[in-house]
Amino acid sequence: MPRREHLLKIGVSGIRGVVGEFLTPALAASFAQAFGTYVGGGRVVLGRDTRPSGEMLTHAVACGLLAAGCEVVETGILPTPTIQIYVDATHAQGGIAVTASHNPPEYNALKLFNSQGLFFNNYERAELLDLYHQSNFRQASNEEISRVITDHGSAPRLHFEKVLQHVDAERIRNRKFRVALDAVNGAGAVTTPGFLRDVLGCDLVAISVDPTKIFPREAEPKAETLGEIAALVPESHREIGFAQDPDGDRLAVIDEHGTVLDNDDVLALAVDAALRRLPGDVVVNLTTSSVIDDVAAAHGRRVYRTPVGEANVVETMQAVNAVIGGEGSNGGIIFPSVHLCRDSYTGMAFLLDRMAETGETISALAARLPKYYRYYGKVAFEHGRLGPLMQSLEARFPSAQKDRADGLKLFLPEGWIHVRSSNTEPLLRVAAEAKSRETVDALYTEVLRLFNG
Amino acid sequence: MIAEAARSLRISQVGLRGVVGAGGLTAAHVMDFASAFGTFLEPGRCVIVGRDPRASGVMLREGVVAALLACGRDVVDLGIAPSPVIQHTIRRMDAAGGISIGASHNAAEWNALKFFGRNAIYLSTAEANELLDIYHLKKFSFVEWNRLGSLMIDQDSLDPYLDQLAAVFDFDALHKFRVVVDCCSGTSSVILRRLNECFGFNFILINEKMRGVAFAHEPATNKDMVSLQLAPLMQPLGADVGFLFDADSDRVAFATEDGGAISEEMVLPLLADYLLPRVAGKLVITNVSTTALVDEVAARHGGEVVRAAVGRQAAIDALSTYRPEQIALAGEGTGAIMMPQFRFVYDGIASMLALLSMMREQGRKLSEIVGWYPRYSILKGQVPLVTHRIPALLASLREHYADGRPSVVDGLRIDWPGRWFHVRVSQTEPVVRIICEQRGDPPRDLYETLIERVRSFA
Repeated sequence: MPRREHLLKIGVSGIRGVVGEFLTPALAASFAQAFGTYVGGGRVVLGRDTRPSGEMLTHAVACGLLAAGCEVVETGILPTPTIQIYVDATHAQGGIAVTASHNPPEYNALKLFNSQGLFFNNYERAELLDLYHQSNFRQASNEEISRVITDHGSAPRLHFEKVLQHVDAERIRNRKFRVALDAVNGAGAVTTPGFLRDVLGCDLVAISVDPTKIFPREAEPKAETLGEIAALVPESHREIGFAQDPDGDRLAVIDEHGTVLDNDDVLALAVDAALRRLPGDVVVNLTTSSVIDDVAAAHGRRVYRTPVGEANVVETMQAVNAVIGGEGSNGGIIFPSVHLCRDSYTGMAFLLDRMAETGETISALAARLPKYYRYYGKVAFEHGRLGPLMQSLEARFPSAQKDRADGLKLFLPEGWIHVRSSNTEPLLRVAAEAKSRETVDALYTEVLRLFNG
Repeated sequence: MIAEAARSLRISQVGLRGVVGAGGLTAAHVMDFASAFGTFLEPGRCVIVGRDPRASGVMLREGVVAALLACGRDVVDLGIAPSPVIQHTIRRMDAAGGISIGASHNAAEWNALKFFGRNAIYLSTAEANELLDIYHLKKFSFVEWNRLGSLMIDQDSLDPYLDQLAAVFDFDALHKFRVVVDCCSGTSSVILRRLNECFGFNFILINEKMRGVAFAHEPATNKDMVSLQLAPLMQPLGADVGFLFDADSDRVAFATEDGGAISEEMVLPLLADYLLPRVAGKLVITNVSTTALVDEVAARHGGEVVRAAVGRQAAIDALSTYRPEQIALAGEGTGAIMMPQFRFVYDGIASMLALLSMMREQGRKLSEIVGWYPRYSILKGQVPLVTHRIPALLASLREHYADGRPSVVDGLRIDWPGRWFHVRVSQTEPVVRIICEQRGDPPRDLYETLIERVRSFA
């Protein structure tokens, strides 16, 4: 059990917490009313993932939005990227997704979008938070109170049409790929089977596609949690397996042998697919693997690095007009030509398209990437420990090139080290990467030694 | 007149009420009050929710639903539904209680939450106090994420309610009346249209389109509104009777076939006259400000009038001190009546059907029926209040009118044969209300003396 103060978080990232004693309907309603005030009324899209608390919080958010004079378009259960694209396509004033993304089911949160369906930038977030604390919300009178409209149908079609513009759908369909899916009974359970089976013509075996049931595995799609789908892929003779998180923005990929691909490699394959089609540079966070640099270099493109967090990556992507970006470790692929958001659907389509184009297996495509060994770890965080650790790391590696944009990243001849504090949990995150297993183990051990010593 | 939101908010034993918007009734109030109700109710059963057509009702509904779900309650939403239908559904589904979202006889910019308990009756004073305490403490029983309630939509609550009415009233016999009804943009049209379609009634509806923003006129069930809006239509439309409902259909006022606007005070004596010989109960429960005609009518049938303090809360508490079979009916001079057949729910539709049944049995025109009763004349007024002098005022009046029979149930009432007055402090405004009534001509001398005496304490 996390410490009590971490059961509810209200900050520049919005509002997130354990539903019940901590994240209450009143808190959600007033945050939504602050949001409605901030966007100045008008039409606001409201969707959610499949968490049991989603229905309750959706009503609370609708209450707050209506009280601020907004018209609410309620989309029901949808993946977060689908909601974002729908906000943009329907010219709404903003959007709210009721989802705690990859957090455990007892958590829920509000993801807030501007009129283009993008996360608010850091300045906007700070303004919204101030507005929330000032509690001086717009209070609509009877005449100013609008209505709730429901549109449960049109959003996925808008999303899929955008994705299909950037792959050769015909050649994917012709291959009739044998595909497995684990949608974690999340929002993808509603839309992903249709996407793979009907839109991309796959022969689909799907598990955890019941949106009325709770998450059957840990919500974050990573190797340790994907045992069931990893076993299913070779058993049912699938060519590839996909796993989503509860709100369908993150993607994990399983090759035909049942091996869960490294998320950085998945991002590298998507980057390669995008760079083959379109001009432009790449943006990833500081913790993402150097494999991205190698792929970009092969296409003669540049890689920009940002602090960890989707909002940071997105902000830089806008600034440099990047063609693709993402965050390796958490399975986020951001392809602005579809939408400037993490989108598992673009990821799935890109990989299938590359398989169709090359006629190669997914394991062969991944094997062609430069091989790096990495380690992502975390240690319990105590306030005041990060600074001394950074100083001793700098002293230990005096000749290393340094980046202090988010904690400390040290670039060494044999690899790199990155230490930072988590944005969402009371943890210190430690990452290291090198060309050999022995080297990365040595680097990581050295960090822990400095931390404990 | 557009009411201002600022200072309109009232949070009391009768629930939450105010003009929606800044300084008035806000989403936060709704959320907290509904959370308090979800905490207050006995555990386990579902809660029924419905609303009148005010635009703000959508916002209040979302807040109420979220709060109840968070308290682990299953919620059944009837959508736009009259209060009597909500109350009937609570009983039919054996629910833990219900919330009617709507401000009844107030103008469109107001809204309110009215709370019903397990038996579908308004909360008693003790229960209402407990609910208020929970609201003020803001310690709500929110359940864990995997025990939250779920929402069901029920659009078929009307027919069981109508079946209940059909079991009490002889619908076939009431078809022949040509009835004009002013729905005042409220929920009564939903019921009346169905009665026309399914049971062959002859209701001619005006202002029947439900409206969220500007009602056709203020939904007040009083004589002034009837004479302004309804009475002039009676003869042109050739109607036998006309009725006017408030927004949530719990109150009714009426006009006669010749275009006469009848005082809202007449609803209770008329229905007492009709019901006392037909039901086992002999008690008529009302308040100290209601016309003495009801005493005269009750005496004729061997009935007895019980007078409680003014206000819904006092009526509900008075009801609970008698066995249901002792009671013939309960009501106020405002046209809000409860009947034992409908288990003591303020029901304007049932009141209307009872009056139509009375017309059918007597076989006379409504103006003749009303004209048959002895004339009582009421005078009402108010004087601004100086709170600390109220006790001295009441003591002085009691001393001065020592020849009458005093009652101190609510302020001071003094009765003489054929006339009475009542002086009390208003619950809604900072004024002293003065009301006097006399059998026959208006008691002008008494009224003017009283006003003077009360003013001398202001």
